[in-house]
Amino acid sequence: MQTRSLLYLVVSFLLMFVALSATAEEPKPTPENTISINLVTQIQPQTFTPPVKFFVDKVIDRSANPQPMRVLRERGGVFLDKEPTEIVQQALQETLQKSNLLAADAASADYVLTVYVFHFGLGSGLGAEYYGKVDLNIVVKDKKTGASQQVTALGTSVQGAAMRKKNILKNIDADIEGALESALRNFLRGTKLRDAVAPVSDKPAAAPQARLCASGLDS
Amino acid sequence: MRKYSLVMAVLLLMATWAVAKDEPKFKSIEVKHFPNAEGVELPPEFSDYLYAELRATLQKKKLADQLLGEDEVVDPADAPKSAILEGSVLEYKKGSVVKESLIGFGAGGRSLTAHIKVTRRSNNEIIVEKDIKVRAMARWDPKTLAKFLANSIAGQLKHSD
Repeated sequence: MQTRSLLYLVVSFLLMFVALSATAEEPKPTPENTISINLVTQIQPQTFTPPVKFFVDKVIDRSANPQPMRVLRERGGVFLDKEPTEIVQQALQETLQKSNLLAADAASADYVLTVYVFHFGLGSGLGAEYYGKVDLNIVVKDKKTGASQQVTALGTSVQGAAMRKKNILKNIDADIEGALESALRNFLRGTKLRDAVAPVSDKPAAAPQARLCASGLDS
Repeated sequence: MRKYSLVMAVLLLMATWAVAKDEPKFKSIEVKHFPNAEGVELPPEFSDYLYAELRATLQKKKLADQLLGEDEVVDPADAPKSAILEGSVLEYKKGSVVKESLIGFGAGGRSLTAHIKVTRRSNNEIIVEKDIKVRAMARWDPKTLAKFLANSIAGQLKHSD
């Protein structure tokens, strides 16, 4: 009888321990573990001749991350103050605005941008070191012709290792900011965007074989 | 008086040397992703991590004013002082923890061989082209090899002509 009650006691303690550890493992966002991503350095996009205007239509999350605002689960968690889609949209609009490339609405724009966010946050690094990664896929739609082109943009940033929570937050903040800045620069200064926006006459002609294939003369 | 002028000359020389040392070797370096050769089985996130580590290491070693992402445009005036870093992973050996524990002396360790090519943007002149092999313990994360490779490439670039 005494053995059985002891067994019940042990089992109930175990269950309580499991329940408590499960709650402790799931961090909640608090002002102490929340970071705000803001671009510090101004990105200088490439110059387009003739000048063009872009409009950011939609930013869609394609990361398949059930908790996009949580960037780190360990060490009490690290959270973003806004959804990644909102951060990307704001950063892209601000950058375009500062360079006088942002249209007021879709009607007045030359190109409409739809941004797909494939990754926003941290990639797994080494030990206590994290690295920021922002992976975007941007569909550039020409309003006049209706033609769309996909432009990929990848940004990464690696900061040093950190052990203290304060430094972890600082490094993660710098990592994600650096990665976002690098991704936006990669898009706005990329040759793919230049090719998508170049006037038809400036676009390189297709190779002779490709032209033959397209016209059906090759078969 | 002669002593003072000698000290002044030494100080001036040291200051010039320090300024010359801080000046980056390139105006910009474009880092490209390293594709894997056929049969190389590395974790899927390795390529992006190596790319990130390369950019961070080259920046840390102050080899260029600007580290460009893949396919970014460069001002034609900067092209002669800009470089493109590309390469591929030729071989990756996972290593064996058992071998490492039983034999030791570097046996059974992880290793990675990469072919790297650094070219000048303006005329495609080859600045560095070689195979680099890096090693790590079999117990360590394969991403350690990315860190070692990035450091090795930065070293090669630093000592290039």
